[in-house]
Amino acid sequence: MTNCNFPWRPPLAKDWAERLTEIEATLAEERAPDYSTVKTLANQQLGRREQLLVERLAKKLKKAALIDDAFAPMTIGLLGNRTLSYLPDPLAAAGLARGLSISSVEAPYDSVASFAFSPANCFAQSLDAVLVVLNESALASKRPLLDVSAEKEALADAEELFVALASAAKQKTGCPAIFATLPAALQVSSAELATPGSSARFRQRINLLLAEGAIEGKWLLWDQAALASRVGLENWLDPVRYHAAKIPFSLEMCPLAADNIASILAAMKGKSARGLILDLDNTLWGGVIGDDGLAGIKLGQNSPEGEAFVAFQNFVLGLRERGVVLAVCSKNTDEIAREPFREHSEMVIKEDHIAVFQANWSDKATNIKSIAETLSLGLESFVFIDDNAAERERVRQELPLVSTIEVGEDPSFYIERIAQSGQFDHLPLNTEDISRAESYGGRAAAAEIRAKIGNYDDYLTTLEMRMTISPFDDVGRARITQLINKSNQFNLTTRRYGEEDVRAIENDPDQLGWQVRLDDKFAQHGMIGVVIVRQDSKEWMIDTWLQSCRVLERGVEQRVMDSLFEEAAKAGVENIVAQYIPTDRNKMVSSFYSDMGFNVDSENDDGSVDYSCSVQDYEPHRTFIDVSLEK
Amino acid sequence: MADSQVILDKVTEIIRELFDEYDGPVTMTTTADDIPQWDSLAHVRLMMMIEMELGVQFSTSGMLGFENLGEMVEEAAKQST
Repeated sequence: MTNCNFPWRPPLAKDWAERLTEIEATLAEERAPDYSTVKTLANQQLGRREQLLVERLAKKLKKAALIDDAFAPMTIGLLGNRTLSYLPDPLAAAGLARGLSISSVEAPYDSVASFAFSPANCFAQSLDAVLVVLNESALASKRPLLDVSAEKEALADAEELFVALASAAKQKTGCPAIFATLPAALQVSSAELATPGSSARFRQRINLLLAEGAIEGKWLLWDQAALASRVGLENWLDPVRYHAAKIPFSLEMCPLAADNIASILAAMKGKSARGLILDLDNTLWGGVIGDDGLAGIKLGQNSPEGEAFVAFQNFVLGLRERGVVLAVCSKNTDEIAREPFREHSEMVIKEDHIAVFQANWSDKATNIKSIAETLSLGLESFVFIDDNAAERERVRQELPLVSTIEVGEDPSFYIERIAQSGQFDHLPLNTEDISRAESYGGRAAAAEIRAKIGNYDDYLTTLEMRMTISPFDDVGRARITQLINKSNQFNLTTRRYGEEDVRAIENDPDQLGWQVRLDDKFAQHGMIGVVIVRQDSKEWMIDTWLQSCRVLERGVEQRVMDSLFEEAAKAGVENIVAQYIPTDRNKMVSSFYSDMGFNVDSENDDGSVDYSCSVQDYEPHRTFIDVSLEK
Repeated sequence: MADSQVILDKVTEIIRELFDEYDGPVTMTTTADDIPQWDSLAHVRLMMMIEMELGVQFSTSGMLGFENLGEMVEEAAKQST
């Protein structure tokens, strides 16, 4: 069991407490706090204390009747043969995280039989669902071991109770029953399942019986058994308090159980996600397609990671089969991004499976918005998956309603986190669900929106970027050489040099070699850029300018260029000249020098373009990076 | 055996967190009667929080049997090293 109950949620924000204070201030002014602010606050990796505070907030919101209309109200009945009194508060908190305002009504202790079989109605109001949590002792009469007919009879009795409870729920409260499956029993022997009359076997058969009833539409399921096995039975159960406080499972597990139940309620209200938006590089395959090429990316049998990516792709395709529409959002050149889909033999997901394919160099939040518009779905209907923590943070800031799951960066955990999130929870499927993904594919047209959305500067500021520029040296040589020979996309001249050439530049007084490193609050990106300049007393010539595509649109190139011109000015240089040499890979930087403020000197027959910029006329850019220049 | 005062300080912190409407004193003689929010449900939650925070485990028989906070603290102190 991990320390955190909710590993798929965003990490707790640094300003979490301030946000809560703001929400409470809004409440004090008798205004309903904004939907996405409250939802975002509740949907984080809450510690014990924050959990308590969100539970309290949920109570206050309901008490003051100041809950944003966007929260779907739900009232559920709780019925069980152990106490369920510890569920209402965590359920209300879990509801906020999923866009629901959940109120619970508890049936009085020991009212299962009377609710099922007598006209008495312990709820006396209409509900959205009745959650029924029964344990084995509520279901089973005495069953001697190996007595097959006694086992059968006990199962028949249990089924009779389920049917009666479901019809009571329907008639008395106008809603479906949700039955909890039974967690596995602790085993005396390894032959429990082959021992008629044993608890383990009985519980499994009860669960199957509940599953069959759900297929027939008689009731819904809360798969408590699956959750218990996920966290481990020893963590799920609390034997001391089972006896001392009549709780069915550990109190510590209540927030997780509540979230699990809330995901079913969200599915009932149509609040489950319907679309999955995927990044490509290091999300669907290992490596960067633009730099590593088709043969270089990790996918399939060529590596352990490659196998993990294939497993993930199979999982994604499984979601599509359940009616989830797939979209791609990647910082890439469109044609290059499509290559693996078209040509890589191990690729499981094909172009046809993707309803909207947005591969370009604009901001991801903008692309996600355009995907949502193209599919005519609300932002809240989408889950976004990206291995890059900074991209996730950016999308969360810009589009808090999109569920950006904390998948981490190891592909082996992507499936687990998405499954745990319950974002794609659904009720028993019908054939219409199955055909949904196909219909989206038909409706969707290629969309392209490049308009930027606001607050990008704020975002860059919050990244706390620190850049180091230093001359070529021993330590950097291997990585410098690797970048020079590997970078294709953000590479202005694509000139390749070996390690000896690089060493020669280090010692040449007429050449300047810069290695650029970047850190931000999320990660140390390491070396992300290389610049080689041939120096003359009056004029400098940029021989090589390349960058890693990991840190685009951060102002990195602007900041390095500013530094270069600062150094040129100090050296009394008048002019800097540069060249763009097109390849089939580097279209993304075709307007690089124009964007930087250079003038075109000549457009040559081979497609290359010569540029120059006078040092005096150069205008520094607005950037958000602290830079230190080593000499 | 850990110092009772150290344990009481930690327990006090938990009590302040859980019973946010109570700002009276928390001492070894405090009982559930002193704190309106301390009902039987909250009691079980309090015990769990104390167990998790201090890494101790109260027994099935002891769960409901403490006369006052002091007895609980002494039991926790006995189990902590």
